[in-house]
Amino acid sequence: MASAGNKNINAKLVLLGDVGAGKSSLVLRFVKDQFVEFQESTIGAAFFSQTLAVNDATVKFEIWDTAGQERYHSLAPMYYRGSAAAIIVFDVTNQASFERAKKWVQELQAQGNPNMVMALAGNKSDLLDARKVTAEEAETYAQENGLFFMETSAKTAANVKEIFYEIARRLPRVQPTENPSGMVLPDRAMDRAVSSSCCA
Amino acid sequence: MTTSDSSSSPSSSGTESADLNPSSDPGTNSERVQSQLESMNLSQPSEVSDGSHTDYGGGDDDAEEEEEVASANGNEGGVSNGISVREDGLAGASGEEEVEPSSSRAEHPVEMEAGEEPPSPTSSGYDGERGSSGGATSTYKADDASEDEIREANVDGDTASQHEAAWLPGKRHVDEDDASISWRKRKKHFFILSNSGKPIYSRYGDEHKLAGFSATLQAIISFVENGGDRVNLVKAGKHQVVFLVKGPIYLVCISCTDETYEYLRGQLDLLYGQMILILTKSIDRCFEKNAKFDMTPLLGGTEAVFSSLVHSFSWNPATFLHAYTCLPLPFALRQSTGSILQDVCASGVLFALLMCRHKVVSLSGAQKASLHPDDLLLLSNFVMSSESFRTSESFSPICLPRYNPQAFLHAYVHFFDDDTYVMLLTTRSDAFYHLKDCRIRIEAVLLKSNILSTVQRSIAEGGMRVEDLPIDRRLRQKPSSTSNQGQDTSGPERLRDVSVGTGGPFGLWHFMYRSIYLDQYISSEFSPPVTTHRQQKSLYRAYQKLYASMHEKGLGPHKTQYRRDENYSLLCWVTPDFELYAAFDPLADKAMAIKMCNQVCQRVKELENEVFLQGASPFSW
Repeated sequence: MASAGNKNINAKLVLLGDVGAGKSSLVLRFVKDQFVEFQESTIGAAFFSQTLAVNDATVKFEIWDTAGQERYHSLAPMYYRGSAAAIIVFDVTNQASFERAKKWVQELQAQGNPNMVMALAGNKSDLLDARKVTAEEAETYAQENGLFFMETSAKTAANVKEIFYEIARRLPRVQPTENPSGMVLPDRAMDRAVSSSCCA
Repeated sequence: MTTSDSSSSPSSSGTESADLNPSSDPGTNSERVQSQLESMNLSQPSEVSDGSHTDYGGGDDDAEEEEEVASANGNEGGVSNGISVREDGLAGASGEEEVEPSSSRAEHPVEMEAGEEPPSPTSSGYDGERGSSGGATSTYKADDASEDEIREANVDGDTASQHEAAWLPGKRHVDEDDASISWRKRKKHFFILSNSGKPIYSRYGDEHKLAGFSATLQAIISFVENGGDRVNLVKAGKHQVVFLVKGPIYLVCISCTDETYEYLRGQLDLLYGQMILILTKSIDRCFEKNAKFDMTPLLGGTEAVFSSLVHSFSWNPATFLHAYTCLPLPFALRQSTGSILQDVCASGVLFALLMCRHKVVSLSGAQKASLHPDDLLLLSNFVMSSESFRTSESFSPICLPRYNPQAFLHAYVHFFDDDTYVMLLTTRSDAFYHLKDCRIRIEAVLLKSNILSTVQRSIAEGGMRVEDLPIDRRLRQKPSSTSNQGQDTSGPERLRDVSVGTGGPFGLWHFMYRSIYLDQYISSEFSPPVTTHRQQKSLYRAYQKLYASMHEKGLGPHKTQYRRDENYSLLCWVTPDFELYAAFDPLADKAMAIKMCNQVCQRVKELENEVFLQGASPFSW
């Protein structure tokens, strides 16, 4: 969720997508400005936080980089429940990953927070020759489903910061508090699930 | 050359002597003539049997295993080949029975059934016995040359895996399948398959390409099961094929590494445990719903976990000692980490562990919750082998097979530096922020008492060294008042110059001490002449044999064993409190070796506050 206090916004953000789409690579590029060619499979989910300054506010993202492996799919609701934003990542060189992304969008539309800011990221845009999903196709799909679309490349860093900035700009400015940054009391964790359903 | 002494007793300690199979270690260097003689000699009980013959010699199993290997070692001449199948004694009244189905006199010792289905020792031996035709092995072509290469697996093959440092995450040789000569040459294969014959995991090669091979294994297992029996071990020349059935999951190891059946079976158990750690036992239900269920996608991305576990079978004594080991640390430091971990557990965390690589710095558990050393091994293997845990804080479901194989726990993992990490386990899936908070509290304590740098120093200094063991009088001089690390006598106190290049005093090369009551062990650092990874691996294999023979059921409790071959003199001493395994120079004097062992025990007792985690209350299982 996002909380506004002196224009400080805390926003929980979740990355979803198929195995090997590049979720971890995107996050690592964004948070640590690192890229490794052979990023290992994520286990469970990895947690990151990163602060961004946009025009009118400071946004602190609490990022959940989920594992794309099939065995972790049932855990996804744990992470997207209560999220203020989601990036659904697919690999532009892999049609199946685009289909998988559409499934995630459907699931979020059905189960997720209705005010969630959703971004569709066509990753690996640097691999021009291997492209299987055209920008137009993805763009059309995104417009039809109320997402915004960007082609990204974690390798070249193209559009990586931009997609997070765009999310930060689109976040509702007034939202119920959830997980204030810094110190979280033990039982706060319980509240997250509850607060998730009451975003105004 | 190869002598063994089975009737020794450390008289000074007053323990009883125990008699053991005077079997030699048919190590890689064993002289051909010697081993051939031996195989002729020892093999007789099994070789006389032709055709189907059942031998109810439960206690001789170990001896027979050694013979099998020995005969395979005698590479030439008309040494006949024994293929034996060990099955559960479901039919037999007493324990295990040895079935000696077809010890056909082949021209080449290892060749199966005159090369009809050569590269599949399993099925050919099996078929030979039961007369069921080789349908299961139809994927193979007769190929004498490749049969030879299987035997010579140590010529090249997986030399890379013999060096701990050279272990690379992930599966290698994916391009191989059962038709590749290189695949067949591998010394040790592991397979996991479903009871419908679908491949789940293979150490080498692509699972999907091995569907035919998996079906073969499944056929063997189910054929025996249909007879109301269970296949445990098939021996084919130098190869052992070990089976383990866990509900709908079958595990198979095919090995020519000369390890004991017991240990290979233990390895399959751990492999199964690792799978349960990732998926829980509820995976069984998928097979109830759909017998043809394909499990491989569920294990996606875990190749590194399995390959690192398999690798640990050759370097980590915890895999056969079923105990864990601690990083040597000053007592006070371990106490203070222990107390913060205890606090954390009191706040609703099930287990809190501070680890350094595969060693425990400290750990704590909620009341009445106990962590089995095998679970600890699998957990640390899981975390250490997955690069993803190092990038940030992770929260992942895991299952502790010995704690509760049915349910997931949630693990918070955070690396403080390259080596040191904390694991917090809880039953609550929504506890991430609480665990993160706990980690911050733990980190504060670690920073305050500078524990991380002490840990780094302890890694650099290593554990106990045989060179540092005091000789007789010095022992009295220096009772361990040094509250400094387990690495006690550093610098001037060292006796290195006395014994440089020859290990410790009186030819002591290495030892392992396992405290039964603490479920922990301490192992000395490797020092010359046991320096290369190959030598270390070979020493571990010798220990494994020793361990297996000491823990063998049916032979009664052994207390001591002294065994000498061309590579080592090995001394094992088991008491209700501890087990000691020590390796000496093969020329070491037995009486002195026994004295040395007493000193090692005394030294370990002096240092126990530094090398062991004391008073971990939840660990009293």
